[in-house]
Amino acid sequence: MTSVLELRQVKKMYGEFTAVKELDLSIPEGAIYGFLGPNGAGKTTAIRMILEIIQPTSGTISVFGHSSALEVRDRIGYLPEEKGLYKKMKAWSIIAYFATLKGLSRKEAKKRAYELLEKYGLKDFSDKKTEALSKGMGQKVQVLAAIAHDPDLVILDEPFSGLDPVNQQVMEEVIRDMAARGKTILFSTHVMQHAERICNSILLIARGEKIFDGSISEAKRTIPRRVRLETDSDIGPLRSLPEVVAVTAVDLEGVPLGAEQIGGPHWDLQIADNADPDVILQSCFDNGIRLRRFDHSDPSLHEVFVNLVGESAREASYR
Amino acid sequence: MKYALLVALREYAENAKTKGFWIGLFIFPVIIYMSFEIQTLLNKATPTRYVAINDQSGNYGDAIDKELEWLHKRDIFRAFGDYAKKYANKTEGEGKKKINFEKIPAIDPEAMMNQFTDSNREVVQQFFDSGGVEASLEMMKPMLVADRPDFEEPKHRYHLVPMPQVGDASDMKQTAQDMKPFLKGDEMITVDGKEKELFAFIQIPVDVAEQVVRPNQPKMSIGEERRGVEYWSTNLADTDAKEVVERAINEELRRAEYVDRGVDVSQVQQVEKTYVPFVSLNAKKDVGEEEVSMADQIRQWAPVGFVYLLWIGIFTISQMLLNNTIEEKSNRIIEVLLSSVTARELMMGKLIGIACVGLTMLGTWVGTLIIVVMAKAGPEAELANAMLEVLTTSGLLPAFAIYFFFGYLMYAGMFLAIGSVCNTLKEAQNLMGPVMLIMIVPVFTMMFIPKDPNGTLATVLSWVPIYTPFIMMNRAAADPPLFDVVGTGVLMVAFTLLVLYLTSKVFRIGILRTGQPPKIKELFRWMRSR
Repeated sequence: MTSVLELRQVKKMYGEFTAVKELDLSIPEGAIYGFLGPNGAGKTTAIRMILEIIQPTSGTISVFGHSSALEVRDRIGYLPEEKGLYKKMKAWSIIAYFATLKGLSRKEAKKRAYELLEKYGLKDFSDKKTEALSKGMGQKVQVLAAIAHDPDLVILDEPFSGLDPVNQQVMEEVIRDMAARGKTILFSTHVMQHAERICNSILLIARGEKIFDGSISEAKRTIPRRVRLETDSDIGPLRSLPEVVAVTAVDLEGVPLGAEQIGGPHWDLQIADNADPDVILQSCFDNGIRLRRFDHSDPSLHEVFVNLVGESAREASYR
Repeated sequence: MKYALLVALREYAENAKTKGFWIGLFIFPVIIYMSFEIQTLLNKATPTRYVAINDQSGNYGDAIDKELEWLHKRDIFRAFGDYAKKYANKTEGEGKKKINFEKIPAIDPEAMMNQFTDSNREVVQQFFDSGGVEASLEMMKPMLVADRPDFEEPKHRYHLVPMPQVGDASDMKQTAQDMKPFLKGDEMITVDGKEKELFAFIQIPVDVAEQVVRPNQPKMSIGEERRGVEYWSTNLADTDAKEVVERAINEELRRAEYVDRGVDVSQVQQVEKTYVPFVSLNAKKDVGEEEVSMADQIRQWAPVGFVYLLWIGIFTISQMLLNNTIEEKSNRIIEVLLSSVTARELMMGKLIGIACVGLTMLGTWVGTLIIVVMAKAGPEAELANAMLEVLTTSGLLPAFAIYFFFGYLMYAGMFLAIGSVCNTLKEAQNLMGPVMLIMIVPVFTMMFIPKDPNGTLATVLSWVPIYTPFIMMNRAAADPPLFDVVGTGVLMVAFTLLVLYLTSKVFRIGILRTGQPPKIKELFRWMRSR
């Protein structure tokens, strides 16, 4: 697979502050790639550098083999994090305007704008000024404006923020449609569920630093296997099982409790790599441990995120 | 360049759709039109004023009556002149300019210009002596269009009405009190069976002759009451009526005085019309052409108009650019734009697009001004025609175009830079304050510079690049030294390029920046950045 986007040792400084530290990245063609990270992690800065809206302090970026994104701007579509539209323009004409900036003829652009608006349920609003649209609708219009020229690489910065669940579905649909036609999609988010559902690869970054880069399953393997229990019984007998590496008292969310707190009813059992969870379940029955919950599903991306980013996320978000 | 043009196209299309643009487009012609029409409209709107006189002396009633009558005749004469021009047969000859008013008895455009001179009085008199409106209409028939409305005599401005019955008129104090309700509108007078409000009331005392003030006469002693004629009204802002009556009485008084002193009145009138002509000559001009003509006058003062137009044009357009940049910035549309076009292309597109909007507006203004002037027959139109001719041949227009071009780029560049570093219009207005103060200077100097176009003030100011377009435009008619023209021109172009270069630097960084506007130090760093 050829890579659409290559970042080598890309760094961005704002005065003394380092927004992005030496970032290496390669995004293959046809991927749905997620940029994950807490607020202020450097996602938007990285995206802006990829698009050549800002210049990196050092390092090289290549898009479709070109050193400048502007050389191939017609093949890129972009939805920025902060959404805005010309208030006095009509929905169709905004979409058409951005499409003409990407090389479509005015006639084509207009046709395409109406097609897209109809396809994604905004047909009745095509001729309305954007100031008359709700925030969600406006955002949809902006997404359509970003993809109107059918780009080969779509970069979406926080595309789900501000959308209701139904429209988040529509957004996912847009992304899947594009991917199904072999386009490469890169989007940033801090909502892990979206990334987990849609992405095949992710980049995890915090405080400007790359923490993880790879497929979702690889990401999940970074967390040790574990079983989660909910019980009022004494779990002492389980501690001695060879399959159990460690036992941690956690709260409902899976966050470990402090040493001074009394454990229960939630427990996290870290298990050996080759262990069979059924052995533990069997042991529970044998020892008369009455379970309200026994969960040995894969960790969610959310847990991976919390695990990998941990405290730094919390600090960063306060910055 | 293609992208810049696409941006320009959108800027133009969107701005041309705004209400502000259309209001701006229409308000100016409306103002121009109104300034032509306002006098007529005011005259039409002012009702006939009813005036009563209590002339105890018995000497001035006739004089006032005559003066008011003459005033009315003059109104008729003027109205007829306008009427004749309005309905002149335009297809005949080469259009209405061709109509030779000298062929029409007693209508002399010159005289119409001097409405208040005495010679005009004779012209008016002649007009009525030779048969007035009817006779002139008959004579002019072949020169007027067939389907014209009938000539309508203007209504009287003032109407003398007899005193209402209020008791003993010789008791002036009492009469004044009795007249008050009429002036205040509490009581009405009856004119031709209709109730009307009395506008003014004039009292001339019996002994008015003794109250006349003469030179070389001791001033009246304290306590002596010498009020002369009393003019009563509730509307003291409209002094026209008072002036007419005052003039009539004083003229009559002086006439009587001449007679008293044994001076021949007609001789005096002859003497009063004696004068020696004066001619202004310009030493710079070739032999035989030194005489300062009307055209020279126009050439000298026309630049003031151009400077004003330049100023209004540049700042209206730059303001648009500023608003528009801030809109894009605060809406964060700028980011999408910058993923499609470079900051420089965006900047250029905006400069071009908004310039076209402004030029459309300026063009419409000038166009409508010309149309209104042309459509409006009368001496103003002839003057305007002459002006147009002078202007098109004087080289002022190319100068205007050049100074507009660079002036616009210079100021638009500055405004664009301001717009790019501000997040809200309010922030921008704070920055605009000092800029506005600097910018107002050419408006102040606009009227002084033509009087001393190559003086120190004008010369110094024209070497300040931000003022060059205005001041040099102002001086353009006075043949400024070639050194000044070329030198300031080069400086202006260089400065404009510098402004645009620095603006592109500031714009590129500022446009993406949110939060506080940058500090001066930061701005300098941006300007130096790659």
